[in-house]
Amino acid sequence: MNLTTLQFVLNGEETAIVVDTSDMLVDVLRERMLLTGTKKGCGKGECGACTVIMNGAAVNSCMIPALKAMGSVVETIEGIGTLEKLHPLQESFMDEGAIQCGFCTPGMIMSAKALLDSQPHPDGKQIREAIAGNICRCTGYVKIKKAILSASEKLKG
Amino acid sequence: MKTLNIVGKSLRRADALEKATGTATFSTDLNLPGMLYAKTLRSPHAHARIIEIDTTEAEKLLGVKAVATWKNTPRLLFNTSATMTFTLPNQEPVLDQYIFDNVVRYVGDEVAAVAAISERVAEAALKLIKVEYELLPAVFDPLEAMEESAPDIHPCHAGKNIPGEIIKIPMGDVEKGFAESDIIYENRFTLPIQKHVQLETQAAVAQVSPDGNITVWSTTQTPHPSRIILAAAFGVSQSKVRVLNPPYIGGGFGVRIGLSAKAEPIAVTLAKLTGKPVKVVYSREEDFIASDTRHAGYVWVKLGAKRDGTFQAIELKGVLNGGAYCSFSCETPGVMGAMGLSVYRIPNVSYYGHSVYTNITPAGAMRGFGNPQGMFAIEQAVDEIAAQLGLDPLELRKQNIIRVGDPWILPYSCRSTGLEECISKAAEELNWQRRGTMNEPGSKILRGIGIGVGTHVSNSWPFCVDYDNAYITVLQDGSIMVATGVPEMGTGTITTLPQLAAETIGIPLDQVGITFGDTLTTPFDIGSHASRTLYAAGTAVVAAANDVRRQILEYAGDLLKTAPEHLEFANGLIKKQGLRDSECVGSGVCQLNEVQNFITMKDLAYHAHLRNKQFIGIGRTTPPNAPPWHAHVTEVEVDTETGMVTVIKVAAAHDVGKAINPLIVEGQIEGGVLMGVGYSISEEIKRDAKGKPLHTSIHKYLLPTAADAPEIKAIIVETNDPTGPFGAKGVGECGMVPTPAAIANAVYDATGIRFTELPLTPERVLKKLQEKNKNII
Amino acid sequence: MFQGYYLPQSVKEALDILANHKGQASIIGGGTDIVLDIQEGKKKCAAFIDVSQIPELQAIEEVDGYLRLGAAVTHAQANRSALVQKTAPILAEACSKVGSLQIRNIATLVGNVVNGQPAADAAVALAALGAKALIEDGKGQREAMVEELYADVGKSLIDPTKEIVTALLVPVQKKGQGSAFIRLDQRKALALPMLNVAVVVQLDEKGECFEWVRIIMAPVGPGPVRSLKGEGLLAGAATSREAIFQAANAAVTEANPRSSALRGSREYRLDVLPILVKRALEVAVTRAKKTDGREG
Repeated sequence: MNLTTLQFVLNGEETAIVVDTSDMLVDVLRERMLLTGTKKGCGKGECGACTVIMNGAAVNSCMIPALKAMGSVVETIEGIGTLEKLHPLQESFMDEGAIQCGFCTPGMIMSAKALLDSQPHPDGKQIREAIAGNICRCTGYVKIKKAILSASEKLKG
Repeated sequence: MKTLNIVGKSLRRADALEKATGTATFSTDLNLPGMLYAKTLRSPHAHARIIEIDTTEAEKLLGVKAVATWKNTPRLLFNTSATMTFTLPNQEPVLDQYIFDNVVRYVGDEVAAVAAISERVAEAALKLIKVEYELLPAVFDPLEAMEESAPDIHPCHAGKNIPGEIIKIPMGDVEKGFAESDIIYENRFTLPIQKHVQLETQAAVAQVSPDGNITVWSTTQTPHPSRIILAAAFGVSQSKVRVLNPPYIGGGFGVRIGLSAKAEPIAVTLAKLTGKPVKVVYSREEDFIASDTRHAGYVWVKLGAKRDGTFQAIELKGVLNGGAYCSFSCETPGVMGAMGLSVYRIPNVSYYGHSVYTNITPAGAMRGFGNPQGMFAIEQAVDEIAAQLGLDPLELRKQNIIRVGDPWILPYSCRSTGLEECISKAAEELNWQRRGTMNEPGSKILRGIGIGVGTHVSNSWPFCVDYDNAYITVLQDGSIMVATGVPEMGTGTITTLPQLAAETIGIPLDQVGITFGDTLTTPFDIGSHASRTLYAAGTAVVAAANDVRRQILEYAGDLLKTAPEHLEFANGLIKKQGLRDSECVGSGVCQLNEVQNFITMKDLAYHAHLRNKQFIGIGRTTPPNAPPWHAHVTEVEVDTETGMVTVIKVAAAHDVGKAINPLIVEGQIEGGVLMGVGYSISEEIKRDAKGKPLHTSIHKYLLPTAADAPEIKAIIVETNDPTGPFGAKGVGECGMVPTPAAIANAVYDATGIRFTELPLTPERVLKKLQEKNKNII
Repeated sequence: MFQGYYLPQSVKEALDILANHKGQASIIGGGTDIVLDIQEGKKKCAAFIDVSQIPELQAIEEVDGYLRLGAAVTHAQANRSALVQKTAPILAEACSKVGSLQIRNIATLVGNVVNGQPAADAAVALAALGAKALIEDGKGQREAMVEELYADVGKSLIDPTKEIVTALLVPVQKKGQGSAFIRLDQRKALALPMLNVAVVVQLDEKGECFEWVRIIMAPVGPGPVRSLKGEGLLAGAATSREAIFQAANAAVTEANPRSSALRGSREYRLDVLPILVKRALEVAVTRAKKTDGREG
């Protein structure tokens, strides 16, 4: 064990937590901070279920040593909307039927959010590229792609 | 027909908000006070006897709380698949597993498990366990495993390494049928191992109370059967075991019909040894190597037809690779034969099929359950007949498909079919007339269109025990609680079952609560599989709702001094026939015993409560079965210089009876289609010469990403099956069934080459293209 | 597992930490590969020195005819950079093929080279473009061609416990040049390629003959493999289908692919490789003729 205090901005709040040097960000979020919205589907950066946004970019939190997040701004599914004001992506995922088992959903929404944050009006190719690292086995991606498009249109209007 | 207010509408899923906000709980999210973490030591050998196992060093490691092996765990035979609990009385369930055994039968088989204060410590402890193995001969191919010289993997009575029984389905006289045929096509087809890759790996958390009550939260698709299995494996009464989902499951597709591989028994074993809650979460690699796959194997088909295209006889044979333990290895070949022979009106049919034990990861249930394997062969045979007779494959199919009331091999009737409409609509979506005119001469990139059709089940009967129960309790404010034993694994159960209940009773959907996936709070049900959840559990929910409705109308009839049949009940309001809603103002309850014209459900329930009465509806059903139908038309592109096959579009038309929630139905079809596309062109688990699997991660195992998915068009065709709730039939597995055949037929259309082996990898395709070119030269 | 994780703010600080650890610490960029290797027990390392936050390593700039990419530049940044798209279009393209966007957002181009994997997409494009790596070890600086950094499969001549690659220098695309990058893959994301081919061609002023050509193929050897025969056949030759066909067939004789149960047999790869080289050369020639060398 080799403990260090990780300081970062998590979902808009200055946060400090003591971590082991070799802890991965996903485990700190899920096991230590009990933010279990971020899922762990492979632990190797191959499924995207653990996607969070770090300094504006979608990343696999299972591949990020927790200390790499030192000084960073991290967003998770828990931080992107409130029950009173959901993020448009959360609304569109619900309305378009883009959610089935729900295990890929948080990571998928985070990848989509990172896309819309930098490119509010993406085309189909940009959407596919943005979520190609998020495996979904339930939906065939049809309604997920539609939901992202629909959220981007909502952001237009 | 009655106007529907709730059924048939694409309403938002009941679990959508939780899942969209990251608050939905899955087994892997659970965290109990004092909880320990378990990791499993797995066999590096395909077949070996454990001579010596020494756990002393592992036990000494700081933070390790218990080590379980075959020596300190119950020696009661069981089966991780639910087949142990619902095999029909004329057959014996195959019991061939212990929690741990002193023989390991595949690379990945369980050897020992450690409970420790963290996963990291548990993993470190695994490395300290010393195991001495005596290697045994191993066999990986089902045909080789049937040879006399092959090692015996388990004792079997039906034949060398054949678990359970050989399935034989005869009708008519196939010899006579082939003799009367003008044309016969026959071939052998080879199917690969496909993996579910549900996003949540196998997981369980077990807690054992001081008095021995066992509670297991897990990813099982079948809480009630899982309770039966665990009670048997640990030798306790079923009443001491509670199995529940927490409440959500990150996908299933058949991988946990019964236990979640061995996650539950390992967790319970270690919870018993330590007295603490224990969590088992399979790594993705463990999920790949030590949790059921689809059955690979061989399918032979022989199809005979008259010159005018009328099918005369079909013979189908399946030999499936069951792997090291029998998980649905008896039922899967049965469904392959029963479904494959029920698509076309053929007077003479014969099926012979079984699985074979081998030293690979057990094969079990997976979306389609043998049916995609069989249809891959049959639908290509149909296309061959069409090609040889110069007939349009669409017309040949329409000419021969089963119609309502036709005799068939199944012990239930075909009471509905929209297959002809499915064929027409799917073909129209892809502009079928282009077929044969899509390529310029000499082009290296070729396009083709193909079709595949099929049917499936809507529940498990008559392949296994299948009955269902539901309770509906009317609460004191007129809202209701539905109790059903099925889980929510993504298929929309907790949205559509309440839709059925609300519509049947006549109350708004927001008045319906549901408890599900928990043996403590719900009546027995065999779980979510066999495309049965909406159909079978739905039938029970509708029965319970009708029971409630009847009781309420009787009570209201007394109250409103009107015979129940002269009352209307919709949208939470019970009123005399003909009364307009606008006339029903106020509560309707009169303290002065004046006769009223109407009463709200809310007031009626409270009125009853004050008079010591509650309405409780019970639905107990043994649903028959009903055939969903489907036709897929696909367009593909083949790069003839690299062998690369790209699926451009799939039009998937499905007769689902009644679409209770069309948005959810489309989602089921779309997901099934893409899983079928992966099976067709890229998904496969191969092994090395020693039986070690090579495709053990999502990176290596090529299931499609969003960048690979073709355009998928789901088309709902509605018929009305008299046996289903509101006419509904199954849909969950159907998107998978005809997809491989439709793609192979499209590749044939593009290249003129018949591919008999999946997946259509570039290498496999290029090889055949080169052979064809050689023959031309 | 690892006991130390450092985020130095300058190259000098990074080199000091490296020296203090005497071979027990390793420079990482995104760490996407090595972190997994450590978790799986394939590699051991006591400490990581993560250079991704060093300000002087962030830049993508054009300097003296070279595109200069700092060591912290990720695949996603290179892919999106208008400068990279203009001056080294196949590098931008290759950078869009690695893993997934989540990985490309973290994984650096330098890491793609230093990791030593022969089929690394960005490294293949860099090799075709004739890119050089700038290497510092605390005592001085040296330069090396990207394709010369490979010791064996998965083994780089760069020792991350002793030295740091600070930047990549890519000659910017000039008039009369065209390039192409072709990846044969079984899946469009989250997959290694079956084969990669990257070519750069320089045509003469009339656009009729090749002045020079660089052909890189992978994974057909320990690192990205240059087809010297193919290049030789084309230098000075007319841009004809025949010449391209001959060069493509010659290139295959320099390829030594392994049989992979996951990504194709040796035979298959040898069958398809000339097709890919041919297609890449054809595309590159078309691009060289169409543009003044710069896209976008």
